[in-house]
Amino acid sequence: MHIPDVLLGGGAAIATGAIAAAGLGYALRRVDERHGARTTSLMGMTAAFVFAAQMVNFPVGPGVTGHLMGGLLSAVLLGPWAGAVVIAAVLIVQCFLFQDGGVTALGANFVNMGLIGAVGGYAIYDPIRRALGGRRGILIGAMVAAWFSVLLAAGAFAIELAAGGRREDFFRILTWMALVHAAIGVGEALITGLVVRLVLLTRPELIEAPSELEIEGDPRPAPGWAPTVAAGMGIALAVAVFVSPFAAPDPDGLEYVGEKFAFLPSEETPPVLAAPMPDYEAPVPSALRGLDEAKAATAAAGLIGTLVVFGFAWGMARVFTASDARPEASADAVA
Amino acid sequence: MPSPDRPGRRPDARVKLIAAVGFVVAVVVAPPGSWRYLGALGLGLGGVVVASGVSIPRLFARWLGFLLLVGFLAALAAGRVAATSGLSWRMAALDLVARNGLALLAMMTLAQVTPWTEMLRAMRRLGMPPALASTLAFMHRYGFVLRDELARMATARRARSFGRRGPGFAALASLIGVLLGRALDREERVFAAMTARGWDGTLRTLDD
Repeated sequence: MHIPDVLLGGGAAIATGAIAAAGLGYALRRVDERHGARTTSLMGMTAAFVFAAQMVNFPVGPGVTGHLMGGLLSAVLLGPWAGAVVIAAVLIVQCFLFQDGGVTALGANFVNMGLIGAVGGYAIYDPIRRALGGRRGILIGAMVAAWFSVLLAAGAFAIELAAGGRREDFFRILTWMALVHAAIGVGEALITGLVVRLVLLTRPELIEAPSELEIEGDPRPAPGWAPTVAAGMGIALAVAVFVSPFAAPDPDGLEYVGEKFAFLPSEETPPVLAAPMPDYEAPVPSALRGLDEAKAATAAAGLIGTLVVFGFAWGMARVFTASDARPEASADAVA
Repeated sequence: MPSPDRPGRRPDARVKLIAAVGFVVAVVVAPPGSWRYLGALGLGLGGVVVASGVSIPRLFARWLGFLLLVGFLAALAAGRVAATSGLSWRMAALDLVARNGLALLAMMTLAQVTPWTEMLRAMRRLGMPPALASTLAFMHRYGFVLRDELARMATARRARSFGRRGPGFAALASLIGVLLGRALDREERVFAAMTARGWDGTLRTLDD
């Protein structure tokens, strides 16, 4: 997920660097206003936590492990801007101490994981948590937002990597990133959900919440229309993100025109998904070789992943409320 | 303010930081396929590496560790580079991997010869916001503490759950959740201790 040096085009590196500097400056100011002298220890310790938590490797598939990215988790714990500052600290240490991510790509990495991952993820988490209310809302909101934060960051990654290049290169990169990160995002959602669930059970006060929002107890009765509407909105968003390549009126028109007027070299154009390794047997199902198939694969990855995450979140929230009902009731009785 | 480092002992961290980042920028802005220029930069870097006494096998071992990811991304980005530079796809990918290798080796060398506290001081003097610099110092101080704490928790878990095959998703996540609680508890104690010693949000060190 960390972009190394050199792979970014010059324009993309400068643009993301400027956005990142402005975003980080604003985030630092917001955090300082809120926490004052405590900024250093709170941000520093949370960043240290994310740094340590990233060393826990989760089995994702045979021989493949993944780890928590933590942007959304930090935002759920401390608020969106603090989450962005935490991610900035983690990225700087990873870049200069471990060479994970390039210096010239630091801005792009912060835009993807800090601004889109933490702040953008929080923008998805917050409405869901409000709509559903209570602990269930926090849990489902965090999981769904974790999934989207990874996918949106991957989409931004594809845009940055392809900026200045041709359109079909962008779609190829987007497809690869979406396929890989659909799996990574489900992992991130699961880990975030399990961690948030544990925090809700043991230390609910650690979770950032505006004063009007009640974490303890669930003010709403059984989920009725609200969760359905929120879930529907989330799915609609997923569809919007991943089907958007189709949405352009006659998406292949530009290529048709380009070939007609020969400003896009038609015979030199490599088959869209035959690369990354065109000289070898491409490790891609032959169904993925055309542009339309690439778009279809992207959309399918997005849709399937979204459904899987919603399924997990719903299931976990059910188990959560079932196992939780009694302790809460007894706590009320004691009080 | 003049550096308190005695002259001639070792170059100021600011010089090293600027030199390394400048080297990376020089590599990044090189037009694709300028092999001689890259070769000259590589020779210069090699001289610095030899002079600094960094273990060369170790540098290359670390570089090899990055090669898989860089290769994958280079394969994705090569189409754009090939289209804009006129190189063949294969040469464009090779160019990306080679230039990335130079940048990586330069940053690795910098990290090897510069302690983090010195690097942070250099960054602060070069204009990094003080709040960010103190956060980074704090993070470095406690990152390894928390990593050790995690290792102790993992050992304890292993000792108590013999016979189970691999660690499950839920068990690993609860490890992280407990670490989170402990980290924030520790933050509370540390912040109280810092406040008791007059912490007001500004990091003051002996050398500035």
